[in-house]
Amino acid sequence: MIALEGVTKTYTRPGGDSVEALRGVSLSINRGEMVAILGTSGSGKSTLLSVLGLLDVPTGGRYLLDDADVSSLAGDAQARLRNARIGFVFQAFHLLPRTSALQNVELPLLYSERSSLDGLARKALESVGLADRMKHTPEELSGGQQQRVAIARALVNEPDLLLADEPTGNLDSRTAGEILDLLGALNAAGRTVVLVTHDAALAARCKRVVRIEDGRIASDEVNAVNVVNA
Amino acid sequence: MGRFRLRTLAMAAGSFVGITALTVVVSAGGAAERRIQATGRHHFGESSILVMAGGAPLMSGPRGEAARLTLDDAEALAREAPGIESWDPQQVLPGAPVKRGDATATARVLGASERAPLVWSRGVTQGVFFDAAAVAQAARVAVIGETVARQLFGNEDPLDAEILVRNVPFRVIGVLEPFGTDIHGMDRDAEIVVPISTAMRRLLNVDTIVAIKLLVRDPSRVDEAAGEVRRILRERHGLAEGQKSDFSMVTAILVKKMVARVQRVLIVFLPLVAGISLLAGGAASAALMLASVSGRVSENGLRRAVGARAKDIGLQFLLETTLTTLAGGLAGLAVGGGLALYVIRRFHLEGGLSPLAVALGLGLSLAVGLLAGVLPARRGAALAPAAALR
Ligand SMILES: Nc1ncnc2c1ncn2[C@@H]1O[C@H](COP(=O)(O)OP(=O)(O)OP(=O)(O)O)[C@@H](O)[C@H]1O
Ligand SMILES: [Mg+2]
Repeated sequence: MIALEGVTKTYTRPGGDSVEALRGVSLSINRGEMVAILGTSGSGKSTLLSVLGLLDVPTGGRYLLDDADVSSLAGDAQARLRNARIGFVFQAFHLLPRTSALQNVELPLLYSERSSLDGLARKALESVGLADRMKHTPEELSGGQQQRVAIARALVNEPDLLLADEPTGNLDSRTAGEILDLLGALNAAGRTVVLVTHDAALAARCKRVVRIEDGRIASDEVNAVNVVNA
Repeated sequence: MGRFRLRTLAMAAGSFVGITALTVVVSAGGAAERRIQATGRHHFGESSILVMAGGAPLMSGPRGEAARLTLDDAEALAREAPGIESWDPQQVLPGAPVKRGDATATARVLGASERAPLVWSRGVTQGVFFDAAAVAQAARVAVIGETVARQLFGNEDPLDAEILVRNVPFRVIGVLEPFGTDIHGMDRDAEIVVPISTAMRRLLNVDTIVAIKLLVRDPSRVDEAAGEVRRILRERHGLAEGQKSDFSMVTAILVKKMVARVQRVLIVFLPLVAGISLLAGGAASAALMLASVSGRVSENGLRRAVGARAKDIGLQFLLETTLTTLAGGLAGLAVGGGLALYVIRRFHLEGGLSPLAVALGLGLSLAVGLLAGVLPARRGAALAPAAALR
């Protein structure tokens, strides 16, 4: 489903010095996989996920999504793919303040080209266990609940690829476990899930773990046992 | 919008203030301008020459005692200046006590000839104007303005009644066409017109007049006639070359210049003020909107991340500024319209909320919104989603 071929990303700062965040990453991910990307801070995990999520364009290399080169697509076409095929979950949730959970989840539908959107947001909120919190604003929700709302938002357009950048980074370990269980369940239901973390214990619960070091893939291993409680 | 209520309010306030000013200026200014033009035309058609005793220019206070302008001067001018169609001599008693039984009033008493209705384009609505015989005999007859009529007679019929002007009895024979307030704010219906001879002999005891108005038959030759009038009068007054005239003259051209000066204020200066405030409002809107862009970077990044195209973000900003300034503009139209109506009523002008003001108000607040939104829209749309979400 996903194939990265020698992807590089160089950030050029206004001062002129540049940072090579990705130095030639080749990676392929099959439909239905659950992959953890593990690495120390500054190793390039978020950059890699941004490229996968079409939130940033790579400096070099190719990104094939279902065999189509998407790295060279025009901005509008990329926006359409982000909307229809990719769900993104952030460490900082990024929910609109003073806006109800339901309206937050409905946000992607605003830009959707699908014809029937009725009830999708409700369904998504129900699927993350927040049927009774639809009218609540982020300020009235716990961190775990906020991240559930964000996951529901990522799911609302029924994308086949779910990307999560340290989705549990702002949560305590018990809540983090619940969120990971939720992602595991979504993967079990057929979605491809790519998860960034620097917590080896969390990564160990995923079937496949890709280690990033200094912008390069250091290892790519399949765990013997899938420990995520699906 | 609710999330940025204060900013939105401030932004709307910008166009509100501008449009309020603009609406007042365009509506009330337009009404004032119409009034000035009408007054100018009414009192000073193309073919008029006004000669006033004293060397002081028009409307600059009392004239010197030494000034002498006589009925003989007037007759000589009418006879000798070319193409004079008609003329009217004037004497004035600025504030005279007028009585009828217990009712009293203060009126401006004008002495005029029987030709006044033609020369000043102001006739009567009831009764008659006095005739040549009345002027010849210095008859004690009076034509009174509506304000005087109301003050002395209420709803009664003033015709044929007797009134006392400075304790001299007069018979009311007519009621003047209403005029209203003139550009100086003077109630021109608080006037009484009596024969010039009566005014001179019985009320003022003078043998001079204060002004002569001449009508020229051919408007295109007013300047020529005015030149002759000046020459004849200087000769009659024995003025040597280089000596200052002891009279002053106003022609339509001079009046036009004055009207133009007032109009410059109304048409150029005031709208300029309104325009500047609108511009300031627009700039404030743009600045606030830009601040709002930076305040909403992560919101925009998020919208992009979930599928908004760059132009969706741009459009959203544009729509927000435009709706905001438009709302401010509409409020400005309402308040400005109210103020304009108040001013119009207060100064006895005619007209209401000008359609031009409505069109300008809506158009400009829309334009301000669009202009103020363009830059923020570009900024908001240009950011890559990843950069915006960092
Ligand atoms: N916009 C940017 N401009 C310049 N340098 C950047 C930019 N974004 C990231 N970098 C640099 O690129 C490198 C990789 O950053 P990235 O955010 O991908 O790391 P990460 O693995 O997600 O780290 P963390 O675990 O702390 O989130 C870092 O050295 C970072 O400083
Ligand atoms: Mg990161």
